[in-house]
Amino acid sequence: MEEKEIEVKELNFYYGQVHALKNINLPVYKHMVTALIGPSGCGKTTLLRCFNRMHDLYPGNRYTGEIIFKEKNILGDDIDLIDLRSRIGMVFQKPTPFPMSIFDNIAYGLKLRGIKKRSELSERVERALRHAALWDEVKDKLNESAYALSGGQQQRLVIARALAVEPEVLLFDEPTSALDPISTAKIEELAVQLKEEVTIIIVTHNMQQAARISDWTGFLMLGELIEFDRTDKIFTSPSQKLTEDYITGRFG
Amino acid sequence: MTKGLKKNPVDFLFGTLTGIASLSVVVLIGGIFYALLSESKLAIESFGVFKFITTIDWDPVAEVFGAATTLYGTAVTTALSLLFAIPVALGIAVFITEIAPGFLKGPIGVAIELLAAIPSIIYGMWGLFTLAPIMEMYIEPFLQSTLGRVPGLGILFEGTPMGIDLLTASVILSIMIIPFTASVARDSFNLTPPIVKESAYAVGATKWEVVKDVVLPYSKLGVFGGVVLSLGRALGETMAVAFVLGNNHQITTSLFDAAATITVSLANEFTEADTDLYLSSLYYLALILFVMSFITLAIAKFFLLRAERRYSR
Repeated sequence: MEEKEIEVKELNFYYGQVHALKNINLPVYKHMVTALIGPSGCGKTTLLRCFNRMHDLYPGNRYTGEIIFKEKNILGDDIDLIDLRSRIGMVFQKPTPFPMSIFDNIAYGLKLRGIKKRSELSERVERALRHAALWDEVKDKLNESAYALSGGQQQRLVIARALAVEPEVLLFDEPTSALDPISTAKIEELAVQLKEEVTIIIVTHNMQQAARISDWTGFLMLGELIEFDRTDKIFTSPSQKLTEDYITGRFG
Repeated sequence: MTKGLKKNPVDFLFGTLTGIASLSVVVLIGGIFYALLSESKLAIESFGVFKFITTIDWDPVAEVFGAATTLYGTAVTTALSLLFAIPVALGIAVFITEIAPGFLKGPIGVAIELLAAIPSIIYGMWGLFTLAPIMEMYIEPFLQSTLGRVPGLGILFEGTPMGIDLLTASVILSIMIIPFTASVARDSFNLTPPIVKESAYAVGATKWEVVKDVVLPYSKLGVFGGVVLSLGRALGETMAVAFVLGNNHQITTSLFDAAATITVSLANEFTEADTDLYLSSLYYLALILFVMSFITLAIAKFFLLRAERRYSR
C-alpha cells in the first residue's frame, strides 16, 4: 500500500450559507497524480482550494473536519498559511505570471523566503526552469518580461515558480483549460514527470486528461465524493452508476 | 445591386453627427489657443519668450512684466501638493481594495467621492478661516522649531509664520487632489486579476508583499494616470489657492512666505489691469498655463505608452 501524503477526513465546506462540500473523505497518495473530476459546480475546485487554504482570502468561508498533512490538521487556526502555501503550491486555470521579468517571477517565492544570494537564486531558478521543461526556451531572455512568453510557456513558467520553493504537493486547477493542444500535451507530460518529486492533485474538466495522467481519480457531484479509486478502475469498471454515467458522457 | 448592400442612410447620419461632435472639440481647443495667442501678442512682442519667463519683476507701474514668480509659485505648490497627496491617496486605495472589511469599503469610498465633490471655493474659505490660523498658530511654529533647526532645511522654514503662504496653499491643494488620485488608484487596483493576486498568495506572499509586488506594478499605469490627472488639477486650481496664497509676486525659499501662482494672478488681477500691456501680459500667463498643461499631458501619454509596451504583448 502506498504512503499517504494527505488525508481528508469528514471535510465540510461552506460559502456563507451554501454547503459546498459534504463529508469528504479522501486519501492523497505520495508521488502520485490524483485527479478530481465531475460536472461543473460539483465542488472539485472548491476542494482543491481547501488544500492551501485559498478560501481564507475571502470572508464568510468556513471549514469543518480535517485535512491531515505532515501529521497536522492544516485546517487548524494555528497553521502558518505562508508556510503551508510554500509546501503546497498551486497552478491556476490561466497562466498568472507576475508583472516582472522571467527570472524575477521564478525567484519571487525564494526571495520571500529570505534567499538573497545571487548565486543561489540563479542556481535554483535554473533548476526550477529545467524541471518545468522551460530552460532551453528562455535561458537567453531571463531578464525579459514574462508577458513576452506564449500562453503555454507562461503556464510552464508558473509551474517553475511553484517548483522553485520545492513544495511537497502541487495543486493544479484545470491548468490546461486556456491552452492549445500542443501546450496541453507538454503540461501533461510535465505533470507525469514531476510526480517523481512532488505529489500532484489536479482538477480537470477533461476526462481523457484525467485518464492519461492520473493514478487515482475522485469523482465528485453536488459537493459529494461519489467514488474514489485507481484511475484505471474508475475508467473501466466504476462501482457507482453515477460515475459510469458521467464518464460515458451521459451527463455533464 | 441588392438593397441590403447599400449604405444605410441612418448609419451615415449617425456617423456624421458623432463626427461633428468630436470635431467640435478640436475646433474649440484651436479657437481657445488662438484667442490666447492673439490677446497676448502685445506682451510677446514686448518681452519675448525667454525674457518673459525669466523676468522676476511684475511691476504694473513701470509696465515691466515677467512670469518667473508665478511659474515658481505654480511649480512649488504643485510639487508639494503631489508630495503630500500621493502617499495618502495610495494608502487609501490600498486600504479600500485590499485590507478594509466589506462593510467599510462602501462608506469610505463615498466619503472620498464627497471630498471630490466639494466646490473649490469652499476649500478656499475653509483654508482661509480655519486651516490658515491653525497653520499659523500651531503647525508652522512647530515645523520651525523642529525641521527648521536642521542644517540645510532651515531655509525652507524662515520668517514669521502667517498662515497665508506656500505651505498652506499646498496642503489645501493636496486635500483637493487626494480624492482623484485615490479613486483612480482604487479603480486600477481593482483591475488586477484576482487570479494573479491568488497566485502570489499561493507562493506564500503576505498581504503587503502582494500589494507591493503584484498589485502596484500591475496597476502602475492607472496610478500614474491618476497622478497626472491630479497634477493637471493642481496646476490649474484657482479658487482654493487664491484665498491662502496672498498673490505676492516674489521668489522665496521659505514655505512660510506668500507667493503667487499663474492662476491666482489671473483671478486677482484682471480687474486691475488698466493698461493694454498689463492685460496682454495676463493673457500671456494664461497662454503659458495652457501650454504647460498640454505638455504635462503629452509627457504623461508618452510614458504611459512606453510602460504599456513593456508589460503587455
